[in-house]
Amino acid sequence: MGWREAWRISSVAFGELSLQAIYAYRQGNLPPTGAPRLVAARARRRVVQSKLIVAAVLGLLAAGACLLLEISARIVATPFFGVVVSPAVFQMGVLTGLLAIEVAFLWWTGLQVIPTFLASGVLPVLEPLPIDDRTLGRVAGLLYLRLFDLPVIIVLVTTPLFVAWTLGAAAGLAIVPGVVAAVGFALSLALLTGRFFVRRVQGSRGGGGRTLARWAYLVLWVLPAFAMFGLVVAAPGFLAVIGRTVADGPALGRDLLLSAFPITFAVLPTVAVHGPGAFGLDPSGEAALAGATATYLLLAAWSIVWLMASVRRLGLAPALMPADAPPARFDLRPQRPARAVLTKDLRIASRMPGYAFLVIFPILEAVAIGLFTFVTGPGSSAALGLALAAVATAALLATFFGPAFFAIEVIAYSYGRTLPLSDRSILTGKVALVALIYLIAGGIVLGLTLLRVFQPVLFVVFVLAELPAVLAASFLELGILFRRARATGLPIVNLYSGGWYAVLVAVPGLLAAGLPLLSFRVLDGVAPALALGAMGLLAIAELAVCAPFALGWGGGRPA
Amino acid sequence: MDAVPYGPSPTPLVADELSVTYGEHPAVDRLSLTVRPGEIYGLLGSNGAGKSSTIKAIVGLVPPSHGRVAVFGFDAVHDGLATKERLGYVPETSLLYEALTPREFLEFVASVRRLDPPTASARAKSYATAFRLENEFEEPIASLSNGTRQKVLIVAALLHQPPLLVLDEPLNSLDPRSVRIMKDLLARYVAASGRGVLFSTHTMEVAQQLCHRVGILDRGVLRAEGTLATLRERAEAGDATLEEVFLRLTREGEGLDTAVRALEGL
Repeated sequence: MGWREAWRISSVAFGELSLQAIYAYRQGNLPPTGAPRLVAARARRRVVQSKLIVAAVLGLLAAGACLLLEISARIVATPFFGVVVSPAVFQMGVLTGLLAIEVAFLWWTGLQVIPTFLASGVLPVLEPLPIDDRTLGRVAGLLYLRLFDLPVIIVLVTTPLFVAWTLGAAAGLAIVPGVVAAVGFALSLALLTGRFFVRRVQGSRGGGGRTLARWAYLVLWVLPAFAMFGLVVAAPGFLAVIGRTVADGPALGRDLLLSAFPITFAVLPTVAVHGPGAFGLDPSGEAALAGATATYLLLAAWSIVWLMASVRRLGLAPALMPADAPPARFDLRPQRPARAVLTKDLRIASRMPGYAFLVIFPILEAVAIGLFTFVTGPGSSAALGLALAAVATAALLATFFGPAFFAIEVIAYSYGRTLPLSDRSILTGKVALVALIYLIAGGIVLGLTLLRVFQPVLFVVFVLAELPAVLAASFLELGILFRRARATGLPIVNLYSGGWYAVLVAVPGLLAAGLPLLSFRVLDGVAPALALGAMGLLAIAELAVCAPFALGWGGGRPA
Repeated sequence: MDAVPYGPSPTPLVADELSVTYGEHPAVDRLSLTVRPGEIYGLLGSNGAGKSSTIKAIVGLVPPSHGRVAVFGFDAVHDGLATKERLGYVPETSLLYEALTPREFLEFVASVRRLDPPTASARAKSYATAFRLENEFEEPIASLSNGTRQKVLIVAALLHQPPLLVLDEPLNSLDPRSVRIMKDLLARYVAASGRGVLFSTHTMEVAQQLCHRVGILDRGVLRAEGTLATLRERAEAGDATLEEVFLRLTREGEGLDTAVRALEGL
């Protein structure tokens, strides 16, 4: 059997993978009503929709980066932290950022989808069939690649096109090796870290110490997404460092900098248009650049070969269990139902990166902005403004995807629905989780900010004034989802297969969380105390409307 | 555990004219059955006969398209929580929170069932020891074998000592030792104060050994119901085994010899 047969088998298997990704029968979800053919078609359509969303984001990122290149002349006229960067350095910085974000976004998408890929069970189904090992390996590799087809095509096509449109055809061609390497590295990193997760994290036993270790692993898991955010936040400082190194640094430092991925590839378009002199490269520098380029391309090619050979092993690999089983602890500590829901969610999140991401990301984001506030050390009012912005972002991030996926988790698992768990307990547990994420993020920013600007009252009042809006947004989203679940059922999805769905549900939640922040922004210039008061009152009013909607108070049926 | 009643009615389970439909496809058609106090009721049927759909409607996983289900007098649709408080359910497939360990899962179930810590711990220890779950108690469920997952589900169903047990093919995947324990446990379980067990299976020997009465489901319809003696009489089967009675009543036995002979040439 050759590649043609492998492609044919992977097409059939991808249909099953789509079905499981959307409807998750093997995780206990109930079958949707409708003719099987229509259900399968709907699943395939929804997977395509999710891929389109990821692809659209990547396309927009490429377009945004090239827009920056287009107006680079105006931007470079502005000094970045006392260092004026040349247009060449600016272009290199922007393209470095773009390639890094493409790697991080594809990597992160892969991390999201790998648990679904494994849970679908498509590879174990194929394994006993009379298909030779080489073809099975190819099928597994193709299945994995097909998860990324649209996003990867968009990256491979739009990035060179946008660069060519902005910097010229030669530059567009010169960025192609960088884009190919970025895709190769991203998909391989996703598989590598996914395998690590399956073997080390998913199989981790219970117990407090091990839970902490799992959370530490999961912070690593979130790093790609966090890196994207950090790159955007730290872009001016990053450009300043590159500018200084290229302009005034020693030749060795410059060569080392240009030999680091993805800077190596970000340099090539400018070099292709203006020659190596644009970066002051001498022959040794040119040789270093050429060597680094060739090395990275070889590494990317090898990583794709490795990937194709490894997907099958990942699909069949059991979690690694330590040989020595600890003595069983039978001391169950039942909690109140709502708190039990919260505890269960945190435990599940500690072994599932999709959920862990929702918990960790707003907190890490708060750490990033808090640290940035502290390190850059602007004046007190600017620091406070940044800190308030960090809290606002945490509130929006906590209510963006969280409620949607936390709701899905409990409703979609059929076993949960056979337990006498009231909707109010579920809602309270889920809303408490979102509030906890927000308060931890707010607490971290508070701690970091107090070290720089000691104005605890204003800050604490701001955090507390927004809290009812965070609760309101969570209640609103969960209320909508619970009602929909009653009517049509909810699938177990992740941010990849259900991104479209979570985005739709998150819109009213974002409005609820964002309106008080907006009112503060509008009124802050007039009177800060009035702004805080208005923000708090608006947030409480929202909570007074949204909580009864979700909980079914006032005679309505609970959500 | 108090004596009956566990609710407005002492009868553990009444299904009245119950129908379940998936889209256009009727899976269960106007099924009526009663599980009496102290009774193990076996629901028998071939694959796709509607056993699991009946059970899913009883435990509240799928809404009935017609009819009603009452657990100790509580309506399964309108008094869902009261119904669920009184039953323990073992699903046909291992539907568990894969990312939790058995201990974490049982702790969650005990919380939802509002058990106090000493009771929950003592019961978890007794059942886990009986089913030899000690070595897997701290492993994530995702890494457990099907049989071990099934044991975890059985322990979770028994943890609150429910007055009604609803078991969907509970012995599938269990090792012989655990099957024996389960059989003994069920026999003693219903002997206590008005409890009932609804037990679906297609293993006739098990049903014959365990069940006080059986109902035979065929393509969503309850073809016959009663004790083994009643069913033998109805099938005019003398002292035939339950398997023979089943094959006669469902006409699944027709053409059986021809089908077996056709396989001989392969």
